[in-house]
Formats: sequence, C-alpha cells, structure tokens
Amino acid sequence: MDSQTHKAHRPAQSGAKAEKKKESKAKGKEKQHGFNEKAFAPKSGRRADRQGRRTAERDQTRLHVPLVDRTPDDQPPPVIVAIVGPPGVGKTTLMKSLIRRYTKQTLNHIQGPVTVVSGKKKRITFIECNNDLNSMIDIGKIADLVLLMIDGSYGFEMETFEFLNILQSHGFPKVIGVLTHLDLIKKAATLKATKKALKKRFWTEIYQGAKLFYLSGVLNGRYPDTEILNLSRFISVMKFRPLVFRNSHPYMLADRFEDLTPREQVRQSKGKCDRTVTVYGYLRGTNYRLGMRVHVPGVGDLDVNSVQILGDPCPLPDAQSEKRRKLSEKKKLLIHAPMSDVGGVMYDKDAVYINVPGNFTKGGMENPGEGEKMVLDLQDVNSTLEDQVAKSQIRLFGSSSQPLSVEAGPSTLPSDQSEDDEDGSSEDEDEDEEDEENLSGNEDALGSDNEAMSDEDFGEDDEADVDNHGRSAPRTVRRSIHGLPSQDRKRGDVEYADSDSDLGGEDDDDPGPSRRFVHFGDDKVVDIPSDDDVDEDSSENENVPQWKANLSEKAQAAFQDTARSRKRRDWVKLIYNSSAAPEEILGKGQTEEDPSQGPSMDDDDFFTIASKAPANVEETLDQTKEPVNPDDLKEWEDEEVLDSIRNLFITGSSSQAAEGVDENGEPYEDMEGEAGSQAGSDASEGEGEDVADGKRSLNKDAAALAAKKAELKRKFDEQYDEPDAAKADFYTEAKEAIARQQQLNRAEFENVDPEARALIEGYRPGTYVRMELVNVPAEMVENFDPSFPIVVGGLLPAEERFGYVQVRIKRHRWFAKTLKTNDPLIFSLGWRRFQTVPIYSLDDHSIRMRMLKYTPEHMHCYATFYGPAALPNTGFCAFNALGRDTPGFRVSATGVVLDIDRSTRIVKKLKLTGVPFKIFKNTAFIKDMFTSALEVAKFEGANIRTVSGIRGQIKKALPKPDGAFRAAFEDKILMSDIVFLRAWYAIQPRKFYNPVTSLLLSDKEKWQGMRLTGQVRREEGLKTPTNINSIYKPIERPARRFNPLKVPKKLQAALPYASKPKIMKPQHRATYMQKRAVVLEPEEKKALALLQQVRALRKDQVARRREKQEERKAAHRKKVEKEEVKKNEKEKEKRKEYMRLAGMKSKREAEAAEGGRGSKRRKT
Amino acid sequence: MAQTPAVLHFSGHHYLRHRLVLSILSGKPVRIDKIRSDDQNPGLRDYEVSLLRLLERVTNGTVIEISVTGTAILLKPGIIAGGSVTHECPLSRSVGYFLEPVIMLAPFAKKPLSLTLKGITTDEHDLSVDIIRTVTLPHLQLFGVSDGLELRIKKRGSAPLGGGEVQFLCPIVKQVKTLDFVDPGRIKRIRGISSPGYALSLLAESTTGAMHSAEAISKPGVPPEEIALLAARSLLAEIRRGGAVDRHHQSLVLLMMVLGSEDVGRCRLGEPTARTIQFLRDMKQAFGTAFKIAPADPSDPESTDLIFSCYGVGYINANRTLS
Repeated sequence: MDSQTHKAHRPAQSGAKAEKKKESKAKGKEKQHGFNEKAFAPKSGRRADRQGRRTAERDQTRLHVPLVDRTPDDQPPPVIVAIVGPPGVGKTTLMKSLIRRYTKQTLNHIQGPVTVVSGKKKRITFIECNNDLNSMIDIGKIADLVLLMIDGSYGFEMETFEFLNILQSHGFPKVIGVLTHLDLIKKAATLKATKKALKKRFWTEIYQGAKLFYLSGVLNGRYPDTEILNLSRFISVMKFRPLVFRNSHPYMLADRFEDLTPREQVRQSKGKCDRTVTVYGYLRGTNYRLGMRVHVPGVGDLDVNSVQILGDPCPLPDAQSEKRRKLSEKKKLLIHAPMSDVGGVMYDKDAVYINVPGNFTKGGMENPGEGEKMVLDLQDVNSTLEDQVAKSQIRLFGSSSQPLSVEAGPSTLPSDQSEDDEDGSSEDEDEDEEDEENLSGNEDALGSDNEAMSDEDFGEDDEADVDNHGRSAPRTVRRSIHGLPSQDRKRGDVEYADSDSDLGGEDDDDPGPSRRFVHFGDDKVVDIPSDDDVDEDSSENENVPQWKANLSEKAQAAFQDTARSRKRRDWVKLIYNSSAAPEEILGKGQTEEDPSQGPSMDDDDFFTIASKAPANVEETLDQTKEPVNPDDLKEWEDEEVLDSIRNLFITGSSSQAAEGVDENGEPYEDMEGEAGSQAGSDASEGEGEDVADGKRSLNKDAAALAAKKAELKRKFDEQYDEPDAAKADFYTEAKEAIARQQQLNRAEFENVDPEARALIEGYRPGTYVRMELVNVPAEMVENFDPSFPIVVGGLLPAEERFGYVQVRIKRHRWFAKTLKTNDPLIFSLGWRRFQTVPIYSLDDHSIRMRMLKYTPEHMHCYATFYGPAALPNTGFCAFNALGRDTPGFRVSATGVVLDIDRSTRIVKKLKLTGVPFKIFKNTAFIKDMFTSALEVAKFEGANIRTVSGIRGQIKKALPKPDGAFRAAFEDKILMSDIVFLRAWYAIQPRKFYNPVTSLLLSDKEKWQGMRLTGQVRREEGLKTPTNINSIYKPIERPARRFNPLKVPKKLQAALPYASKPKIMKPQHRATYMQKRAVVLEPEEKKALALLQQVRALRKDQVARRREKQEERKAAHRKKVEKEEVKKNEKEKEKRKEYMRLAGMKSKREAEAAEGGRGSKRRKT
Repeated sequence: MAQTPAVLHFSGHHYLRHRLVLSILSGKPVRIDKIRSDDQNPGLRDYEVSLLRLLERVTNGTVIEISVTGTAILLKPGIIAGGSVTHECPLSRSVGYFLEPVIMLAPFAKKPLSLTLKGITTDEHDLSVDIIRTVTLPHLQLFGVSDGLELRIKKRGSAPLGGGEVQFLCPIVKQVKTLDFVDPGRIKRIRGISSPGYALSLLAESTTGAMHSAEAISKPGVPPEEIALLAARSLLAEIRRGGAVDRHHQSLVLLMMVLGSEDVGRCRLGEPTARTIQFLRDMKQAFGTAFKIAPADPSDPESTDLIFSCYGVGYINANRTLS
C-alpha cells in the first residue's frame, strides 16, 4: 500500500505572525546561548548573602589536605578492583562478566588476580575475595576500589559490615555497592522498598550518596551486558585519592608464585627445608628500595634476595601504536592472569600446564592463546642451540659495522637472541621470563623494528656513537680487543659522564702512575699530569729557596689542574663501586706512603698488604675540622690569587662569573647545565682546546642570555595568564609546591639507566618485578592456594623493630563482650596480623597511666602491647577470633597507634594494710604492713592513712616485730583503725607476639592462636584448680565487748558533781510496792469478767468470718484454674497451627531455591 | 618470632660517631670491631666511652655491649627519647665532638631535647660551639628544624681544665623537608666571633644563604693578628672550594637529604671530604640509598662543584608521640 503524502506545512513568510516569530527567534537565540544569569539570581540582599555563604562553605568542604600522589603518571600500576561479598552472592559471575567486558574472553576458572587493559592509560587488576576474614583484611589493605556485593533478596550480612569496618580502620578505599539477586523479588513494590531500604543503610555506612549498583538476573552465566557496561564506565571514571599508609609503603599483590628451591634439597629434607620462592607482580605505593624487608601477611617477615624488573606482561598501549582516541580491539584482548587458565596456560605452583584443543595443527589457528603460541614456537625450532650460537652476530654498538665473532662456549648468549634482544636490557633472566619476553617480542615484531626499541636503547646508541667518534684517536690502538666486551658492559653499569672527554678519564685501565692521555678532540692529545705529579712538583718547589717567586701562578695552576683532573672523576663509581679508602680517593696521604702508587680505583687491582701501623705513631683522631697547614695558606698573600675568587663575591665583577650565577644571582644551572654540556661536547669534538675555550665562553654567554630571556618570558606568561596567581592561597600554593617537586623528581633521573636508577631511587611503582624471597617456610609452598591473596608489603626501618606500642582503642559497639586486660587479642596493624596481649589503661589526671581491668563502655581508652612498631597515626582493628564459627560480630575493637617506646609506664593500685599495736599521742606503732626493716626503709616518708581519714607518715622501722614501724599521724588514731598505704605498682605487658600465619596452613581458615585458660579447660574438659585460700567461708563476726568504764576513786573525788559517775548501790530490801498485796473490789471484779467475755465473743466472731472467707477463696481458685486450663489448650492449638504454616512455607522456599538459583547458597 | 634486623658491621675506630648515628636512626644494630686492636693502648678511648654513655642517655632501650678488651662494641639501638639530659664531657675532647652526633639525632626524638654539656668549648679538633651555633644550626634550619632550635653558650672553657657549659635545645619534627639547594649565590657578607683567648671564627654568607666558615684557635704566644690572618685565609680557601654548603657540614646535609620525604633532593657541594665519602658509603649500607653525583656545570672545567641528588627514604619520626 502506498504511503499517502500529506501536504507539508508552509510557515508564513510575511505578515504579523512571521514578524513576531522572527523577532522572538532573534531575541531568543541571544538568550538561549550561555548561562541565563537571571534564572539563579537572588531576589533579595539577604538571600544573596545566604547564597554566597553557602557557596563559600561548599567550596571549603571540597578542599582536602594536599597529598602527594606517589603513583607515576606515565606508567601507573593497574588499579586493584576487589570483588567482595558473602558466598553465593555472585562474585565470580561479576568478575567473569567484567573480564569479558574488557577482554572479550570468558574465563572458566578464575584464580588469583587478573589484570586487563581497560583504557589507553589504565589497567585494572581484578581480584575476588573469598569469605575468609584474613583474606578480607589483606584485600582491604591493598584494594583501590571495592565492589561490595550484597544479596538484594536477603539484605546485608555480617561479613559486609565486618569488611566495611576493616576498610575504615586501614584507610577507606573507594567502594561501589552492587546489589544482586534482585530478580528474586517478584513484586515491584517490594523491590522498590528493598532498594530504598538497602540504599539508606549503605549510605549511612559509607557516605550519603555512595554509588550503589543494581544488577538484575543472570543471562548465560553473566550479568546483562548493558549493566556491566555501565558498571565498567563507573569504574573507569573513578578517581583515587592517595591513602596515607599506601603512600608511604611499597607493596605488591603477587599474581604469580614460583618455588625456586633446588629439588634435591627439598627431597633430602623431605620437603621441610626453608624455600626460596619468587613472587611476581606490579609494584605499588612508593618506591621499593634494595635491602628493604617485606612482610607477607599470613607468612611473616621475609628477606628479599633480589628484585628484577621484568617486561610488562600486560603493557599499556604506547603512543606510537595507539594514535587513535579509543583503545584498539587488539589491545583489548590483553589479559594477564597467571594463576587462572587464561590463554590455555595454567601456572601451578611448580609447573606450567598448557591446554590445547583436541586437534592441533600449525597455521590452522586464527588467534592462538599464549600457551598455544608457546607450543607453536617450540615447533619452530629447526636448528640446535650450538648452531645458532655459531651463527649469531653480536655487534657491540648499534652502529658497528663489524660483528664480533664468538667462539661457542659457556659464555655465549642464548640461541634465539635477536637483534632486538641484543641491546635490550634482559640479560640474566630465567627461562620463564625469557619466554615471555620472546612472546612480547613476537607481538612487537608485527609493528616496525623501531617501535621495539625503547628510549634507553636510543640513549645507549647515542653514547656509543659518541664513543666511536672518539676512538679514531690513538687510544683505540692502546686497548686490546679482548678487553672490549667486558669493559663495555661494566661501563654500562654506572656512568654519569656527559661528554666523551669525561669518559676518557677513568676508562684508562693501565696502572701507569705518570701520565694520562685525554682526548679533547679528534687528533689532539693533551698531556695532563696526574695528581701525583702535582704533588711531586709542589714538593720539589718547596725545596727551592725563593719559593715565593712564582708561587701564585703555581698554586693557581695546581689548583686548576687538580680541579680539572678531579672533575673528570666519576664520583659515583669512586664512592660506591670501589673499596679504596676515602683518603686515597681524594688523593691525599699517598705522598707520605708511596708516591709511585697511583690511586687505585678498581676493585680488581686493589690488593694491598695490610701494613702494621707503627704503634708509636700519633693516631688520627675522629675529627671534623681538618688540620690547617699555614704554608698552604701563604698563597693568599698574592693579589692575583685573591683576584681569582673575586667573582665569588657580590662585590666582584660579574664578567668572570664562572660559577653558574648570572648578574641577578638567578639560578640557571638546569638550563645552563644541559645547554652547556651540549655545547661543551660539541666544542671538544670540533676544535682544539684553546679554540674550544673561546667558543665555550661564547656559548656560555649565549646560553646565559637565553636563560635570562626564558626566565623573563616565564614570568611574563605567568602574570599575563593568571593575573591573580601572585596572591594564591595556601591550598594552591601547597599544590603547586607538590607539583614542582614532582616535576623535579621526574626530571632528575630521567636519563639515568635503569640499573643505576634502581640503585639511587629504588624500583618505582608500576614496574612489573620478580622478587626473590628467601627462607620462606615450606608450608607456604606446600599449602599454596591461589584463591588466597599473597600481598608483599614493604616495611619501613621503624617497622622492623619491636617495642611497646601504645594505641588508642575503643571496643566496637557491636562486639558483644567487653575486652579484658591480659586477654589475647588479634590485631591487624600495618601489613601485619598478629596476636598479642594488651593491657588497657586510662590517663589518671595526667599524673599516671592507670591500668584498667576492662575496656570502658562507649569510650576510648589506651592499650599497650608488645609487638612490631608501627608509625604513629596508623589505624588498626582487632579481633578476638578469626574463625568463621565465631558467633556475632567479629571486629572487637578499632583504634589508632599513638606511640612506640621501649618501656611503659602503666601502673596499678596497690594498697598495703597494717594495724596499730601501740598508740601514743600522735604517734603509733604499726605492724603487719611490711615483713622486714628493709622494706620499711624503702617506704620511709610515704603517706599513710587510716580508714577514718587520719593522715600520717611512715617514720622509721622498729627493731622488734619484723616489719613494724613508727608512724606519725595528724591526730590520735584508734586501736581498731586499719592503716593503709596507697602505692602504685608498675606493670609491663607480656612480651607475647604471635603472627597469624594463616597462609601456612592447609586449611587456611582454621588458624588457632593462643587460647584463654578457661577456653583451654573447657575444651580439654579440665576442672579449675581451687586454691584453698580462695574458698569463701562464712564470715564470723564476734560481738564486740566493751569493758565497763572505770573511773579511779581519786579522780572521782576530784571531779565536779556533774561529771561524777552516778553509781548507786544495788537495792537490798523489797521496795514499798513489793511489800504490799493488791485485792480487787467486787465491782472491779465484775467489770473485769465482763470485759473478758466481750473479748471472747469477738475472738469467736473473727474466727468464723475468716473461715467463711477461706471457703469463698477456694471456690474462686478452682474457677480460675479451670479457666487457665482452657486458655492453655487454646494457645497450644494456635502454636500448632503456626508451626504447620511455617513448615509449609520453608518447604516451599527450599523447593524454590533448588529450582531457581542452584544449591550453592544453602550449602554454605 | 621477633627477628632482629640485619646487623651493620664496621671495623676500626674511625668514623665511630656517624656510624653510631646511622645505626640509631636506621634502627639496625651495629657491630664495630678492631677498635685500635693494633695500638699500644688498644680499645676505646675515654671520650668514646663517654659518647656511648651520652647516646645511651639520649635514647631509651639502647643496649651497648663492649668487649672485654674494649676493641669491639655492639650497639642495639633503642628509640631516641630526648628530654632533658646533662652530660659531663671528658677533657680529652671538646663538646663539639659530642654535639655533632646529637644534632643529627635530636630532631627525631620523642621529646624536644635539652642537652647540657660541660667541658671544653673550643679546641682545634672539633667544631667549636661558635661554629655550631652560627653554621651548623642554620644548616639544620634548611630542613625545617627551626622553631626552638638553639645553642646557649653559658660558659666558655678551654683545655686543659674545661669548665665550659653549653645548652643545646632542639625541637622535634615529623619529617625533614626536602632540600633543593643548587645555587651557591655570591658572598654578600662575612661576620665573625672572636672570643679572646679562645678563637676567631668567621662566617661568610651568600645571597642565597649558602655558608662557609673558618676558624683559627688562639695559641699561647701567637699575636692576634696572625690568628686573624690565618682565619681569614682559611675562609678564603673555603670559599674557593665552592658549594652551597659548608665543607664541615656536608655529612649533616647529606644525611638530612636522605632522611627527607620520598622526593628528589638536590644540593650543590664542593669536593667531598674523606669523611663525607665514608659517610656516603655507610649511609648506603644503613639506608640503601645512593646519591647521584654529577658535576654542577660540566661546561666549566675549573669548577669542582658537584650536584648531589638523592631520593629521600621518607623517614618519618616514628618516636614522636601522638596525642
């Protein structure tokens, strides 16, 4: 059916409507563009004020303390993305989905870290965290980003909160929440409510607005592609703020692990010997320095034997191959997961397995995996090693035309050494790396040859070129051809020379003491006297009587000559690579020892017989000031010598500013240095010395001028571009200072070769290295499990030491029990996890640190324990037990390190009691407080107190009962008073340190630390031994008997009457009343009888009434009982019904679970 | 499982002070043997024993074992405690001998140090108290150790009877600053302190704050003019040697550079002294840090100045208390 065309709308071209439209369009366009200022303009002044303040406040909250990011910009290590969550929540599925998203590969069996290239400048290492608390701790310390998975259909689980608390105490990395199993919630309203509730809880745990992702169901064993794509986008835009601990420690997440111990040794020791293992991975954090010890959590402190830089197994695309904006598809396939089965290669702990498909034909494969390539490469070999060595051509330099001929021998290079490898950096790597190297080499071979060459290669080539030019002079002849290769290799090691004249100086191997030949150009050989000659000369001169004659010239010349010859020295080599004594290096002290012997600069020819020092010689003191020889200073009498340093003073002329200072005193060493060296080498190549001098000075002037101009231009640019840059605030200034320093860091060692660079600054983060660890417990190798992460954390010098660590600690409010002093606690502090015995304390009025028996509620207290030191301000968390069977929340406390020391000052109160045995006026003799006079002597002058509050002081020991003493009180005390002495007793934490060696166990979750005594008794079924003295007995308190007060007669007599005790004699005779009998009158008798009758009647009445009441009560009780029975029956019925329903429900659920999501969750 | 870190091992009595300092700072135990083992009077001298005592008091938990013959010592360093310490220096060396190592340690102590030293204040072997006050402390200030840094000269004393007294006050720092000092500038002023009967010390200061110092000790019978001439000429010699740092303070500056944050520090020095060379070697052993040493201006054949650059170890004062 034809589609019917409608008549198109024709807007009016003229008329009022057209005019109006035109007008509005013209106006509107203007308005539409840009920011509509009116839209957000405040309507009133007050509102404007408030708005302004709010903006200012918001700006301030955005500011953070500027932190230096130690991660290099050019080759950053891959970002570690950890996938954490309770079992069955979908971690593996998410990891598979993400890896597929980045590499288009589906991994079946993921183990250990997986590194992928995620962008042009970014790589990601994914690692899945299992449900073990130890793994969670280790992962929490290294992860840059955590994908925290939560089962949406169930809600939060204890592990999630535990993990969040671990993160909090070790510096919070970024966290993205991922809700899964949302497809199990069928009702839309419930789903919405669940999402909202979970989000609210998640936000309170992390921060308001934390990102929470929702993943719906699983499709083809993966999450839906669009959702994963969104998640990956979030991961890629994530910015990471450096964490303080990681910014001060180097660390590595091992993605490969090999045992290097000789098999024979293992066999002989039946597998029990300490192993040598290598771990591989990207360095992160700060630079790893040689000699730094490392801690592998779960294993212990280990020594690093050697570190080697390996080729990056998962390299970032370089600029040449990736000109485009996006990552090319080919690079997307890169994946590095040695512990998994990626590319058909599986690295087990002691073997490499290569999986190949059923039929395996060469050339028939489109995209062979890594392992398949290995096998293919093995097939490619068509000549023996020896043949290849014979055929191989080794050129010394990139530009050499004549290759070296090498007789086959043990020292020859490996067979497939290609041209690329020849000048490459890999020389002594083991087989595995070589294979990898070759593989990457093959990949590179697809591109151009130049591409394979790194910058360093270029650098070396340049140097070699320069050398070649220099070698056309006679010097080349003087050297034997045999010496060449080794010599050259040595030189590649450490060399900082900038021009070839520098190189000439110390390559001279011949020990001849007299002359050295130095090239300044192609054909001119300058004869320069060595140090010894100078010394000889000067000593000769001293013999001349009128030595003053040409002293100045000589001194000048000598100074300059020594200066020149010294300048040519390679100080790095002299200081670090030779064993010559410092004095020998400086060329002193030889004149008196042996003038014929030159300074020996190489290790090889420095063998001297240790001469016995004559005993009577004045020994050289360890002194900073050097003895001054007044004769040496005589040269300053000469005006010319004085003039020679005039330029060093501000008053001197600047024309002869030879010291790198221009007129304004501005520093320009950097630019001048580079330009100057360039110019200098040019000059020395081209002409003779005098010509060069002229040219140099010309160059120098030009360079100085250029530098000055550049500086001015920079200043102008700065002021022009940012007029308010001058008044930058503190924050900007700090940031700029950091940026400047980082610029300097980058620039300073840029041209140094990697080996020397490692010597100076260590191995930088981002490099893929192989670390050889020695004396590793055999169990680590035996019980290796790739699903448990191996973290290699570098230790700072302070952290290797042990001492008393004082921390501020707070019991976690979710932890059920209080913590008790001297109960073992497991700390996760720094890289380490260890069990130790803390003592809790509180600051008592800043006077003393008083021990606490238990941690206080809702309050911080101090804890002191013995263990490895950690820097102050390091966070930690503590656990009572790490096992999974622990009920409740496992994080028992969190806190921060305050102090490390070698002694503690915790005290507990000690009360000594005694009783008086003789009391004078204000003096009393006290016993039972001490046992000997010596003890009393120790406490002389101590303050004591009675229970009633009378204060006193210990005076002196008494001879008679041992330990009794005389004390003075402010008032008379009673014999019944107890006297006590309040003292403080210092206590030390127990020196107990037990690292959690979970990685050494076959069942890594079953680590068992020291148990409490009660726990041991309970588990062993032992009874608590009872101390007979500790048994409680009924307290017997005999009634106090007070003696009657007796006042002596004499005293009584003297007392006034009022104070006299009124003591009367006891009555002997019967009293008046006793003597008389009482007889009732008849009326009285009657009344009495009547009263008695009335009382009897009343009694009877009451008894009858009570009986009746009892009867009534019994009837009521019966009734109530009946009702109770009825009620109970009803209740029982109700319960029965409820249980029946619940049983049905659970049955239904179990069925649903089996049908729906597999039984993984229920299993665990 | 408390393993002890690797022991530094040295031989001979030379450079005892800086080796002890490196051991205490790096926390590695140090064993020094063959101390004057071939001497007629073998073993440690009285001032060396006194130095060990002083270090023991300035630190907490330091264990020093001296062999029976006194020719070998083992020092297991504790933490640097600081606080208030008084020490009687023996009359064989001046207080400078004891101050120099303490100055290197004091910024990293737990508490600010207030050290009173009694003894000889000026002699011909060690830096005099004037030099320490006017030159050493400003060099320490380059690294951010400044507030409350002071050396009070209470009494002067010279050999043979001593009797001087100085008080050294040093604040503590969390971390020393990274140094970038490559411009020696030009000498803008020269100042000096002459204390009759003791010495004349001269100090040349450049536009950028670089310092050079020289000192001449007065001797009986020598006219003051000659002492002055000697001092002035030694100062000129010092200035000619170049560098942005006084020659006697090379080791101090290099040590602080190594202890700086994990950044590149640069400093321009004249030719290293023998002490400096040994110090660099020992420092590599203790901290694993080597320097890059390059000529300051390669184009100038007359300059002996060198640029020492290193990558700091990021030494953080772990002894500091947080509260």
